Amino acid sequence: MIEQFTQGFAMAMRLDTMAMVSVGLFAGMLVGSLPGFTTLMAMAILLPISFFLDPIVGIPFLLGIYKGGIFGGSVPAILISMPGTGAAVATSRDGYKLTQKGQSRKALDMALYSSAFGDTCSDIFTIVMMFPIAYLVMQFGPPELFAVLLMSLVIIAATSAANPLKSLIMMMLGLWLSFIGTDPLGGVERFTFGLFDLKSGIPLLPMLIGVFALPEVANVVIKNEKSRQLAALVGERLTRVEFRRCLPTICRSTVIGTGIGIVPGLGQIVAAMMGYSAAKNASKHPETFGEGEIEGVAAAEAANNAVNGPTMVPLLTLGIPGDNVTAILLGAFVAQGLRPGPQLFEEQGATVFAILVAMVIANLLFVAIGYLSIPFFARLVTIKTSILIPLVIMFAFAGTYVFRSDSTDLLILVAFGIFGIIAKAARFDVMPMVMGFILGPSMEYAFGQTVAMSSGNPLGFFLSERTGALVVLLVTPIIGFILWRRLYGRPLPT
Amino acid sequence: MLRNFTRKALASLAITGAALTATMSPALAEYPEKPVTMVIPLGAGGSHDLNARIITSIIPSYLGQAMIVRLTPGAGGQKGTQEVANSAADGYTLLFTHNYIDMLQQYVENLPYQPLEDFVPVARVNYAPASIIVRADSPFQTFEELVAFAKENPGELQLGHSGNWGAFFVPAAQIMKKLDFVMNMVPYQGGGPAMQALLAGDSDMSLAFPSALGELVEAGKIRVLATAGEERIFEDVPSFTEVGIDGDIGFMHRFVLAPAGTPQEALDELEAAFAQMSEDETFKKLMDRLGESVDPMTGAEYQALREGQAVAYDELVKDLTSQ
Repeated sequence: MIEQFTQGFAMAMRLDTMAMVSVGLFAGMLVGSLPGFTTLMAMAILLPISFFLDPIVGIPFLLGIYKGGIFGGSVPAILISMPGTGAAVATSRDGYKLTQKGQSRKALDMALYSSAFGDTCSDIFTIVMMFPIAYLVMQFGPPELFAVLLMSLVIIAATSAANPLKSLIMMMLGLWLSFIGTDPLGGVERFTFGLFDLKSGIPLLPMLIGVFALPEVANVVIKNEKSRQLAALVGERLTRVEFRRCLPTICRSTVIGTGIGIVPGLGQIVAAMMGYSAAKNASKHPETFGEGEIEGVAAAEAANNAVNGPTMVPLLTLGIPGDNVTAILLGAFVAQGLRPGPQLFEEQGATVFAILVAMVIANLLFVAIGYLSIPFFARLVTIKTSILIPLVIMFAFAGTYVFRSDSTDLLILVAFGIFGIIAKAARFDVMPMVMGFILGPSMEYAFGQTVAMSSGNPLGFFLSERTGALVVLLVTPIIGFILWRRLYGRPLPT
Repeated sequence: MLRNFTRKALASLAITGAALTATMSPALAEYPEKPVTMVIPLGAGGSHDLNARIITSIIPSYLGQAMIVRLTPGAGGQKGTQEVANSAADGYTLLFTHNYIDMLQQYVENLPYQPLEDFVPVARVNYAPASIIVRADSPFQTFEELVAFAKENPGELQLGHSGNWGAFFVPAAQIMKKLDFVMNMVPYQGGGPAMQALLAGDSDMSLAFPSALGELVEAGKIRVLATAGEERIFEDVPSFTEVGIDGDIGFMHRFVLAPAGTPQEALDELEAAFAQMSEDETFKKLMDRLGESVDPMTGAEYQALREGQAVAYDELVKDLTSQ
């Protein structure tokens, strides 16, 4: 094992690997930062390139695209409040507020460093603990997933900025919106009014852009902020003192993200929200969260990147891809003649370790590439408001359309934009709605599976076979209540 | 002066325009003159996506034009299928799909298109035969033992599959109908999670394609009880025919459709390009690495299979939904 590792380490130290990883990182960052283009699409399109490269070059190249893409997604989230993916929603919350305060550069720096830190730690943890993680992954079935998802929703509702009742209302609305379309289990149409366009449900991207970006645009236009001195607003770089202040938060988020990565089916979105909620809960000044708290950016970004390591485990140890990204990686592995599975480590141990080491190297390269490109990204906000606002609107509509070339999506975008403006005026937080919408389908599916597994007797099933899931379900309301009391049950310091 | 210039410019524009149309009109007859789009009604990273990436990197050398993949997932494959059904029948928009989306859904839901009337097959690329699998520590050594237990204890065994009306659900339902036994069917979101559920002990039996099996069988984690088709895939594992399941059961065909009304010349060109691609050595090598077969079929040959599927699925759905 150790011998294979050192061998793999030596194999990964290649200039062409580093060069292709850099290319991948840069491409991923670029694609990720354009709303409407997904990292997944970029990986699928560039996959054939990896077929013709050496495995230790081709697979790290794809991993580079993936990693770059996650950070890329946080760029528009921070700069123009336009999260292109669910994973960037938590980042945009404080990130955009920092941009408004003229500290966009600081926010981007923090996103970069905490991403790289979270990713590196979780990768190293994964390399060391590969087989224990593989065992843990197997302990999570649909009942456990359902319980954990329900708990996540409760925590999000309890710790969201608005008052908890409003949060719950918005979350229910989000859950209801996720019901629109074809029911994932039985194939029955729900709330579609016979419209074919609604049959596949409401797409996520127009909703995200609609409720997060358009209200901010409206805000600038309504307040007529053209007098704002934007040119000087890029702000300072992140200082070492600030990073050190956030280090406990980053570490906490890394642990949370890694843990969530082990549970199959949860992913980056839940990780980012949980990392954020935990940071807010632990903070001495939770009221600053949502108002431009650099810790909020750090918490969300470290957590959503820390998911990456453990999600590779089922792929490498069993050959089972847990999501679409790992499915593409599986394609790349088998096309190279490496068949992921129980024997991969015995037969190709050195190559696999080389790829894992390249993952860690990718994180380090990523810091360098990010450091050099952030000044260019950050300059975006120095564009005159009269030009920037039309540009943002263009990105919002073009991004929505390019996603799947469907003009209905534009109507959905405008509808959610109007909804977002009204919700903002009425002081309803849209975050719980979005989270309910994103997690609703997974939770529903897991619930349906649980009922199917139990042959129609879920209670008995939980009691007799799934005590772990039952415990999670039972402590959920208690955790929710404690969080709510801690954050809102006491008078806020004035 | 200026007016004169404008007039000259306009005149020359008109001449170039006329010249262009003159040179282009014979070319119009020669399909293809621009890149061809292949719509996949499924998401990124799935087996259709991976297959298509290989197809589109090889076929341009035989078609003389690039082929672009467009993923249009949604509504269980109906979104992408409808998009192609509504597009111009000029041979520039194709659909890369599988038999369960193509032929089964019409009996389950009201579709905004008629699969048999709105599409003509261009070529089948390959197929994936489903295998019946259990965990290595399962008490069932043979398929017969499993069926016998399931007959005595209806609904007690858990069968994990990749989604309702999907590539494992349908064969499982067809087999249960044919051999008259009942298992408790639990859907998972794709073949990966279904396999994980089997290994974790959440389900007692599942199905899988060969591309997902090799390593796990060799490592002694799972046991294959039967494989689809007449002939054996693994030497010591019986085929479906041997255990009493005959017919077109358990195959997921991957094939290309064109909207009905596509000109015959375009269809001929496409069919020839797909046939030549199937002989290409690089294509075969890349498909083999993915664990996929290359089993081409012409459009006409596949059309016969489609018509047979239509009848079989109609019966199956009536049977399942009448209970």
